Parts: sequence; C-alpha cells; structure tokens
Amino acid sequence: MSNKREVISSGNELAARAAVDAGCKFFAGYPLTPSSEIMHVVSDLLPKIGGAAIQMEDEIAGVAAAIGASMSGVRSFTATSGPGISLKAENLGLAQMVENPLVVINVMRGGPSTGLPTRVSQGDVAQAKNPSHGDYKSITVCAGNLEECYTETVRAFNLADRFMQPVFVLLDETIGHMHAKAEIPALEEVQAGIKLRKTFDGAPEEYQPYGVGEDEPAVLNPMFKGYRYHMTGLHHGPTGFPTEEIETCRKLIDRLFKKVEAHQDEIESNEEYMVDDADILIIGYGSASLAIREAVNTLRAEGVKVGMFRPITLWPSPEARMHELGQKFDKVLSVELNQGQYLEEIQRSMGRLDIEKLTKTNGRPFSPADIIEKVKEVF
Amino acid sequence: MSKIVMRFTGVGGQGVLLAGEIFAAAKIKDGGYGIKTATYTSQVRGGPTVVDIQLDNKEIFYPYAIDGEIDFMLSVADVSYQQFKNGVREGATIVVEPNLVHPTEEDRKKWNIVEIPIITIAKEEVGNVITQSVVALAIANTYTKALDEQLLIDTMLSKVPAKVHEVNKKAYELGKKYALESMM
Repeated sequence: MSNKREVISSGNELAARAAVDAGCKFFAGYPLTPSSEIMHVVSDLLPKIGGAAIQMEDEIAGVAAAIGASMSGVRSFTATSGPGISLKAENLGLAQMVENPLVVINVMRGGPSTGLPTRVSQGDVAQAKNPSHGDYKSITVCAGNLEECYTETVRAFNLADRFMQPVFVLLDETIGHMHAKAEIPALEEVQAGIKLRKTFDGAPEEYQPYGVGEDEPAVLNPMFKGYRYHMTGLHHGPTGFPTEEIETCRKLIDRLFKKVEAHQDEIESNEEYMVDDADILIIGYGSASLAIREAVNTLRAEGVKVGMFRPITLWPSPEARMHELGQKFDKVLSVELNQGQYLEEIQRSMGRLDIEKLTKTNGRPFSPADIIEKVKEVF
Repeated sequence: MSKIVMRFTGVGGQGVLLAGEIFAAAKIKDGGYGIKTATYTSQVRGGPTVVDIQLDNKEIFYPYAIDGEIDFMLSVADVSYQQFKNGVREGATIVVEPNLVHPTEEDRKKWNIVEIPIITIAKEEVGNVITQSVVALAIANTYTKALDEQLLIDTMLSKVPAKVHEVNKKAYELGKKYALESMM
C-alpha cells in the first residue's frame, strides 16, 4: 500500500490520467456533458508526452479517428455520454467485427435522447451490452468509486489489447464529477502491468491475422510495418478479405463469443461487502453502490444482517457467482438508477424472478435512506 | 472534529464550485477526508447550482449531503436558496446575499439567517466580483471553524494564479471581517 499515490481529483480527471499512464497516446472525441473534463485533461496531458488529442467535428468522427489510431498500433480511446454512444454505435460495431482494440468511456447521464444532461443515471447498461447491430460479446467495466475510475480505465486498456475489441468503461455523473481524495497505484506499477496486443513476427506472406484458434482474438499487427492485410466490416476469412463461405462465417461469429466466454476468469471482477453472514443481499454497481454501502453500514448498526454484491465487470456478467448467491439468499434486492436493466441479468443468472427492485430515473441519486426504507418495506 | 456538512448555492457561472474544492482539498491536506459534489442544470448560466461539502476525520462513502444534516449554508441566488434551503438542519446558520436572496419570515424563525452583501463586498471593496467565492470561503470557515485558517488560505492560494494572490488574500480578510461583525 505504501507505494500508492494520494491525489485529490474527480472521477473524470482520474480516468483521463489513467489512460495516459496506461500508455495511451491518442484521444479523439467530441465534448459531451458530463464527460467533457476527460477531454479537457487529456488535451493537456497527451501533447506533453508526444501524443495527440483531437476534438473532431462530431461524435462519429471522434470514434472513427480513435479506431484509425488503434489500427496503426497506438493505444487510443474516446469518451462521451450515452447520446454520444448512440452516434458512435455503427463504428463500435465495426471495431467489434474487425477486432480493433479501443477504450470507450461513457459517463452516464439521464436519457433517452438528450435526456437530463447534467444529472446522474445508469441508463446505458443495456446499451453497453449491445450498442450496435449484430452478435458480439461486450466487455464492460463499471467504476464504483474514485479509485476505480483510475484502475478500471487502466484495466480496460489491457483488456482491449488482450481480447482485441472495444472495452467500455462506465462512469456516471456522480462518480465522474465527485471531487475528493483517491489513492491510486504508483505509476511504475501501472506501467509494469501494461500488456500490449500480440503481434506476428514471422514472414509477411504467412501472416493470417484472423487465422487463429476458435477461442482466440485476431492478431493484428500495427499498420505500416510491412504486414499487409485487409480490414472489413463484412464477414471475412483468415487474411481479412470478405467471404460468404458458410463455415468461415459461422466460425467468425462463434469466435467473437468464445474469445471472451472461454476466458471470463480474466475479465470478471466483483466486490462482496459483508455478504458472508448476511440474510439480505443487495446488488448494485457504480455510484448506486455508494449509497448502498452507507445503507448497509446503518442497517448493520441496527442489527439487520445485510450485505452488498457489486459487479465491477458488468459484461460479461458474473453469472456463476450470482447463481450461487441466488441459491444462498432468499431475500435479494437490486438497486440501480434505471428501470431495471441489470435486474434482468440478475434474474437470468439466478434462475428466478422474485428479486425485489429499487429503481430511480429522475436524474437524482439514491440516498442511503431510500435503500434503508426499501429494505424495511419489502423484507 | 466531528463531521461538518456545508452547502453553497448560487447560479451557474458564479464560481461557487471552486470554494467547495478548496474546502475539500484543505481538509485532505490536514489528514482528514473531504468530498465535494456539485449539482447544476443544463442551463449554462443562470441555472440553480448547489455544492455540497463534507469534511470528516473518518472516510466518507456517500458523496452528497443528507437533508437535515447540513450545518451551514451560504446562498447568493434566490432560485437556489428556495430550492435547497430545506436540507439545512433547524437552527443552523444560513448566510445570504441580501440583495439577491429573500428569506421568508418563517425561514428566519427556523434558521439563523445572516445577511452579508457578499457580491457587493467582492465588487466594490475587493474590486473584483470573481473573488466572491473567496469572500464566501472566509465567511463559511469563520462560522463553522471547520479548518485552520492559514491552511485554508494556503490551499486557496495554491489554486489561483500568483498574480491574483494579493486580491484574494484581501477578499479572505474582508469576508472574515464581515462574518465576525455579523456575529456581534
């Protein structure tokens, strides 16, 4: 613990700083409340280390430029809020299909549409699972405190290179804007943990970027290094050129799933708070967990045995652990700042429908009292 | 020190957010925990803005002030005063800019309403309206005694450019003076 850095910062500033510390050299985006501070900070930091941050003409161009930078082998990212993700969706599908690593930070605000620009929400959890059409397997992490705005962003860059696909980092307005003390890992530790994408160093004529095992990501060498290949949103074969050959098409989409599903242990991350001896289980993530933690502390002081399960990786969901918890606990309450987007995943994982829910979609945060009242009302 | 919860309210563009950051940073420098959250509207200027500041020696998890637990409020705009006053603990002090905020008679019974012309002080006595957030900082700390004064001033100076140090020191001194006078 001694080599941690103590900083006074906001979640957005920490996410931006994490990207730079994780070796990211390129940002492109378009300012959108409540994510704009991320762009402000990287616009200051990246040029100082030989990187670049560009404000593009719109959200679509922002993600497109970030994908382009990533194709050249540079770690890159974009940041926005839900309405920006809606605009970026088509290109996010392209990045899934061509297996292009990318980090996408979404600081969630009230929706749908322009919604409540300055207010908190967790309404983009379902969107993060499937922002674009077609079948692929999302990797989405969600910061639940200031430290995680930093550490989860770092982890997202490593996951993107490991699995060769976009990785979502979900923050929300509360977490993004709250300003306090945070203890973040030492820079050397972060740098030592950087794991860049695999590359092929054999003869260029033998290079088959998509000719990989059934549970492996594509091996995409940086462009302009003498390894020529094709990238397309069309179904494609081992060299990347389009094909409609039946088995190749089947294998491609199967592989987009298997490369994630077969290695979920490398992705999954959860926190369990006072769960061991609890009678009541509350499930929540992101800023909702700040109110849940306070509520758990208050209820425990009153003798109510309650605990919290907090998924940090939302997609793929921790379905096996949630299934176990669903067997152990009769009383389960799901708390989220939407109408129950993750509740459906909890129900599926637990194999039961009798999960109590507390939801809020008026742009205001939960207070600990909201949760305490709900626990006393339903259990 | 037990927990102190403060709320600053104004309208967008007045700079109330900065005062909150200074309080939180100073408390953290002092070895404690400080947290600032701000709520504002999508109206860029003129929308009600509220900044909640919690200072404690123990770790703070929930970032917002809880209604009924606010020990001190300062308000420089009526729209946000009316919207956010009810979070303040009964009997606690609310400092208002009397030219812009209009408490009711009932409010005066419920809380210790103190009138200090914060914006006029900044504009006419300090000579720079932007320093109103530092005048407010001084008033809040004089009332709550939340932090060591020198620590707070040093933290404030570390967050503003060197060329405006003197004017901000003056703003702090004036804020303190008016606060002490209002207690007499």
